[in-house]
Amino acid sequence: MALLEVKGLKVGYYDETGTLVPAVDDVSFALDKGGTLGIVGESGCGKTTLARALMGYCRPGSAIMAGEVLFEGEDVLEFTTPELRRLRGRRIAIVPQNPLGSLTYHMKVGHQVTEILKIHQGMDNKAARQAALSLFAATKLPEPERIYDRYPHEISGGQRQRVVIAGALACEPALMILDEPTTALDTTTEMQVLKLVKDLREKIDTALVYITHDLTLTNYMCENVLVMLDGKVMERGRASQIFESPRTDYTKMLVSAIPRVDAPSRAAARTGAGRQPLLRVERLSFAYRPRFSLGGLLKAEDAPPAVDDVSFAIESGEVLALVGESGSGKSTVANVICGLLTPTSGDVVFDGRPINLSARHRPADLKRRIQIIFQDPLSSLNPRRRIGSILARPLEMFFGLKGKRARDRAVELLEDMELTSDLLRRFPRQLSGGQQQRVAIARAFAAEPDLILCDEVTSALDVSVQAHVLELLKGIQAKTGAACLFISHDLGVVKQVAGMTVVLEKGVIAEAGPTERIFTDPVHDYTRLLLAAASRREDFEELAAQRI
Amino acid sequence: MSERTLYSVLTYTPGTTIGVGLVALHMLGALFAPLYIPFGETQLAGFPLLPPGTAEHVLGTDVLGRDYLTRLVMGGRSSIFVAMVGVLGAVVIGGLFAISAAYIGGLYDDAVMRIVDTKLSIPGILFVALFVTGFGRSVTVLTIVIGLTYMPGAIRIIRSQALTLVPLGYIKSARLRGESALSVILRELTPNVMEVVAVEFAIRTSSAILTISALSFLGLGISPPTPDWGLMVSDGVRQIYTAPWLVLLPAFFISTLVIGLNFATDGLANALGLDAARGLRG
Repeated sequence: MALLEVKGLKVGYYDETGTLVPAVDDVSFALDKGGTLGIVGESGCGKTTLARALMGYCRPGSAIMAGEVLFEGEDVLEFTTPELRRLRGRRIAIVPQNPLGSLTYHMKVGHQVTEILKIHQGMDNKAARQAALSLFAATKLPEPERIYDRYPHEISGGQRQRVVIAGALACEPALMILDEPTTALDTTTEMQVLKLVKDLREKIDTALVYITHDLTLTNYMCENVLVMLDGKVMERGRASQIFESPRTDYTKMLVSAIPRVDAPSRAAARTGAGRQPLLRVERLSFAYRPRFSLGGLLKAEDAPPAVDDVSFAIESGEVLALVGESGSGKSTVANVICGLLTPTSGDVVFDGRPINLSARHRPADLKRRIQIIFQDPLSSLNPRRRIGSILARPLEMFFGLKGKRARDRAVELLEDMELTSDLLRRFPRQLSGGQQQRVAIARAFAAEPDLILCDEVTSALDVSVQAHVLELLKGIQAKTGAACLFISHDLGVVKQVAGMTVVLEKGVIAEAGPTERIFTDPVHDYTRLLLAAASRREDFEELAAQRI
Repeated sequence: MSERTLYSVLTYTPGTTIGVGLVALHMLGALFAPLYIPFGETQLAGFPLLPPGTAEHVLGTDVLGRDYLTRLVMGGRSSIFVAMVGVLGAVVIGGLFAISAAYIGGLYDDAVMRIVDTKLSIPGILFVALFVTGFGRSVTVLTIVIGLTYMPGAIRIIRSQALTLVPLGYIKSARLRGESALSVILRELTPNVMEVVAVEFAIRTSSAILTISALSFLGLGISPPTPDWGLMVSDGVRQIYTAPWLVLLPAFFISTLVIGLNFATDGLANALGLDAARGLRG
């Protein structure tokens, strides 16, 4: 008998008129004891709704419309509240997406795990503490004794997720549900966490439902895969088979949209030797100065530099990628170049002139020539302005275009981004994430810049949307001949767009050179580690161990 | 989420509808009072202390024989006017201070916030008493004093909301494109704190109505013979055993208006999802 059997499950959300619209539509699958199943799909495909339904839970505003969820032969959907309470956390555990949100922030992390043990296993304080400490050790948290007494905000994102996993494994559940557990983490941390789950799962023989938008991760984690689209199962089968030879068009598109590290680089490396570079960054350092405070007076503390002695150059029309994990100082470099921050030491030279000035002191034309696009598309557009007004503003400020002429130019820009002119009347919230980011790109190019700074512009987007946005960005960049500093943690994406790559580690350049060379023949250990994590290789652990 | 219509906000829950209804009733009643009141509000219209239900005087008369219905509906006008204008001034002027403090930061922010702290450390009633003693009792002075009383709180709340917006991408792009500080404040920040300002206005208005009534009761507010609910409660207390309606009726008017405002505000805040905006959810 299967451990978990889902039959014709239908979960719906109420719309304004009060009718249920299915978000999970007629999904059936079975999972054996100790088996692994990946559920893959893009945002809004119903995968999280499905995950919660497996535990007999519906978010407010939703309801189970039909179907059965048989867990060890009993229908979870028929359970009473006390029965559910005994089920959740003990027999089925979930690891949700946002580890900070799933830990109570005024409770020490150790207590959050002992609580589970006390409730479900009836342990006393001492036994629970011992058990929690050994769980922390098993999840490879450094110094379990010390972590035990920390609060969630005092530990890193990867450590938080390990604590949540320790809590999920506390009762050795028969089924563990991972709902995009690593979306908020770096590729290297992500791989460490997933490797850990993989090993622990095999050890205690827990079945796994792994929900993600990333097909390569399911390939790494699971035997079987379900591909979902709009609440329906599009395709199912063995992970390797789906990844290598997808059958449906949708899955084919998903697989081909994944930026791969091993694909041939499509961007040209630097050619014109000896030309005057458009932008030179020379021995740039930046440290956040501690804000003046009484505490600062008593305890003089110099923050370590976020960027330390970084030099590189971009030629006009060229795409240079800046790669690194979060906290490596990538965004700081972009913020210094565009004038949001002023460097502690070193020079930024643009078109032959040093520009170590904050944006306020830069001449208007310089502001026009350097544009930046941010990571989160929604927050980079004013929610209270229509798209038309958002696009018209730079046109008016930089070129004095008004009324119909501004409108015509805005429509042109939208067309470059394959958007239609009816968007001009809409508000940002009425657009999809991909459309929002395309509008943000259009706004940056409205200024006809010479240099464009792209700060993780696609990392908030779905894989297929990301592929499209990258294509459009490359198109308009080539058309206008603007140089581009492309900041990303995703090596696959970098491979696609950038001719030159600079790898940053903790504010210092680890390696720099043509993208093709860096990917095929990395010199620095850190680059090798990033590449191994990005290609989901098994030797990743050894590389990581060498680094520590 | 679908777009919010005014109707959907005003009828968010049954409580909201009741609240909005009570407030509307009070507002319309006070606004059109001069059109339907049978007597002048200071006119000695009949025998003193007639109980409610008398043919000519539906809600009776007060100790001087003035029509009580007339005094009740007219009595709301001054309270509502002073509360609304005072609080409106507080949230508009305070809002500008708050948003500019959040955006400009530094010394200016510190200066504004320390002034706010100083004001908050003076007991409210003492501040009002000093102010009224100094400048006299008039509707203008009272409006200004209400405005000053509620401004520091409003600055705090609006500034904290604005602070969450300042690091966002659209503010950064505005700065990088060379917008002036005034333009960023008015074009980019202000429209996005309007929901908080609206809720702030509603909450503070209901509190201001209570404050004004308390002031009148203490003899610091609106001066007789102008009718005012707080004043009427204060006058009526002396006859509480013989003519309890003289206290109960104005008290009832005050509480229905304040309850209505609170219900309406609760619904308004929930409907606008301000919990989410303040980071309490998700």
